[in-house]
Amino acid sequence: MKRIKLYRLILVACLLGYAWFGYVLNQSDSAPASELNVCMIKNVLHIPCPACGSTRSVIALWNGHLIDSIFINPFGLIISLILLVAPLWIIFDFLRKKESFYHIYRKSEIVIRRKQYSIPLIALVIGNWIWNIYKHL
Amino acid sequence: MDSQKVDMFIMTNGKYFESHHVMQIRDRLLQIEDSKWGMIQTLQFKDPTISLIVSLLAGSLGIDRFMIGDTGLGVGKLLTCGGLGIWAIIDWFMIMGATREKNMIKIQQFLQ
Repeated sequence: MKRIKLYRLILVACLLGYAWFGYVLNQSDSAPASELNVCMIKNVLHIPCPACGSTRSVIALWNGHLIDSIFINPFGLIISLILLVAPLWIIFDFLRKKESFYHIYRKSEIVIRRKQYSIPLIALVIGNWIWNIYKHL
Repeated sequence: MDSQKVDMFIMTNGKYFESHHVMQIRDRLLQIEDSKWGMIQTLQFKDPTISLIVSLLAGSLGIDRFMIGDTGLGVGKLLTCGGLGIWAIIDWFMIMGATREKNMIKIQQFLQ
């Protein structure tokens, strides 16, 4: 994937992410976030997916409840980190006319594909999924 | 390379590439030397139909993207529950083209 295409995709995704959290926060009085259900797996199979609860987790983290956020879904921490860091990094790259984010992205893609990293990561995701099902998210 | 060999390759593997790339691949294969034939013949390409099936069944988990080698986008789909389901649906229509593009990138490395 080309650099500009990747940057555009990530910026649009982050913008949609912020829009989603803004929408959920505005809705939270009339309909709690737990009732907003956009997850296909949960709607079809009636079991939570590995990412279920990440909206609640991110909102808990932004309200300063770090432990609650980890207990809801640890994915929330990763999503918050990406939402905060990626747009700033991309803007920094544009201003300095560098490609540091793109290089790190490509390098991490190659590293993640190695078996010694991919197998533990897959195990963690499956473990998190089982935990989500156990928690009835 | 011998045109008979090239046409055989195109007949067997044409379905793995975008139609507008097929003629380009054919022309390039005709130009390269015979010694590369063995290597090109053994190349394994990803089947677009298989990626579509995976996308329909496990698109929300990003497995389709992991499968074609877009690890970063796969992680993105996994973390966001298939982009709140919207990205997963868009990928039902995009994944076959994306797989063919990946196959093109793969063969291009050998055609240079």
